Amino acid sequence: MLQRDAPTTTETRVPGDGHIWVMVLGDLLIFTGYFIIFMVFRTMNPADFLAAQQHLNVNIGVINTVVLLTSSWFVARSVLAARAGNHRSAVRFVYSGAGGGVLFIVLKSYEWAVKISAGHTNSDLFFSLYYVITGVHLVHVVIGLIALGVVVRELNNPGRRRLMVVESAAMYWHMVDLLWVIIFGLLYVMR
Amino acid sequence: MNLLTPERYITTTDGDPAGKPDVRFLTWFFPVWYAVFGVIICVLTRVTPPPRPDVTTAGTVAFFTEHHLTIQIGFVLLLILLGGAPLTNGLVLYHMKRMSVGSVFGYGYIAAMSVGALPGFLLVGVCYLTATFRPDRDPELIGWLYDLGNLSYNGSLGCFTTAYVVLAIAVLYDKNGVFPKWFGYVTVWQVITEVIATQFFLFYSGPLAWNGVLSLWWAVVVFSVWLGALIFVLRAATIGEPVDSPGLD
Repeated sequence: MLQRDAPTTTETRVPGDGHIWVMVLGDLLIFTGYFIIFMVFRTMNPADFLAAQQHLNVNIGVINTVVLLTSSWFVARSVLAARAGNHRSAVRFVYSGAGGGVLFIVLKSYEWAVKISAGHTNSDLFFSLYYVITGVHLVHVVIGLIALGVVVRELNNPGRRRLMVVESAAMYWHMVDLLWVIIFGLLYVMR
Repeated sequence: MNLLTPERYITTTDGDPAGKPDVRFLTWFFPVWYAVFGVIICVLTRVTPPPRPDVTTAGTVAFFTEHHLTIQIGFVLLLILLGGAPLTNGLVLYHMKRMSVGSVFGYGYIAAMSVGALPGFLLVGVCYLTATFRPDRDPELIGWLYDLGNLSYNGSLGCFTTAYVVLAIAVLYDKNGVFPKWFGYVTVWQVITEVIATQFFLFYSGPLAWNGVLSLWWAVVVFSVWLGALIFVLRAATIGEPVDSPGLD
């Protein structure tokens, strides 16, 4: 889809370089391990997990999902703008995308603070997995923000502007988004 | 990413792999060292796979009584083997110094590995050896050594995270292409999975305890992938270095 819209790309190719695909596919595999482990322990304690899950705020989860999806959309727009040579607008899109990432972190921190002060600490098995899985994801969001910062640095410097870097960071950001959608489904929604 | 194509390997006119002979020797020493290390920690010292965190005091005494001989032999051998760690870490330092990022990352790597070795190997060694050489002590103290040793050994995985951070940044920033970028990303996985080791201090059982499936075993799988990749990229970086390149400062 992105390639068809890109005016500067004539040949068909996979976005990003091979290295970032190792990162994204491998990282998805690592998270798949976390999800399987979560499901195994959930199957072993279905009543406890269901009871603990009631304390999660689905509304914040939905808002965070929308925030990250919107953020991914901005980052995808920045790739299109960069391909078209619109570097100033590409930078603006990256800033908007990063703003979504920051908002996600703020909302998630608020959610954690509310849960911890309400006594839902990691002494409960469900919440211990909740804090670790969402915490590892949060670290991924921070790394994604660093990657977007690298993209801004690339785009602002006429001597650099490597499209591969822009595409690779965007791929990573979409992966962070995809992982959150799965986490949201598994931890918040699944009954 | 044509990792396996023959033309990636620079050979001499005789068809032998290129690279400096002494550095090439170390690339063989590296996996051999880790293989011996793996045998010692898994078969002899009994720290990996870790014993259960949820045993009673009597259980910890029974553990040390049952395995005291292999623990003693294992840690003596490990202390000798650790003399080779400067060579394995030095090989990584050597290639990091060939990167465009400057030596500070290489020295940061060595410093972080050295700091990690204190809780990661020496403290657990002291705890286990004390427990096995002083079996007549109060069982509560033996149990305390058991907890301290295992929490130190497993819980210190995060100490090595600093080393992985500097290595990942160096690989990703390097313009000389000493290590491939994908290896930098694989090192980022190491950073994240080992930070989860902090959870060991909180749990006696379950997925996040020091023998937990999420916190330990999944991290061990990622570590194995990382170590295998490191052996591979060290070899590629070594044979990729021109034989006549000047020595490093």
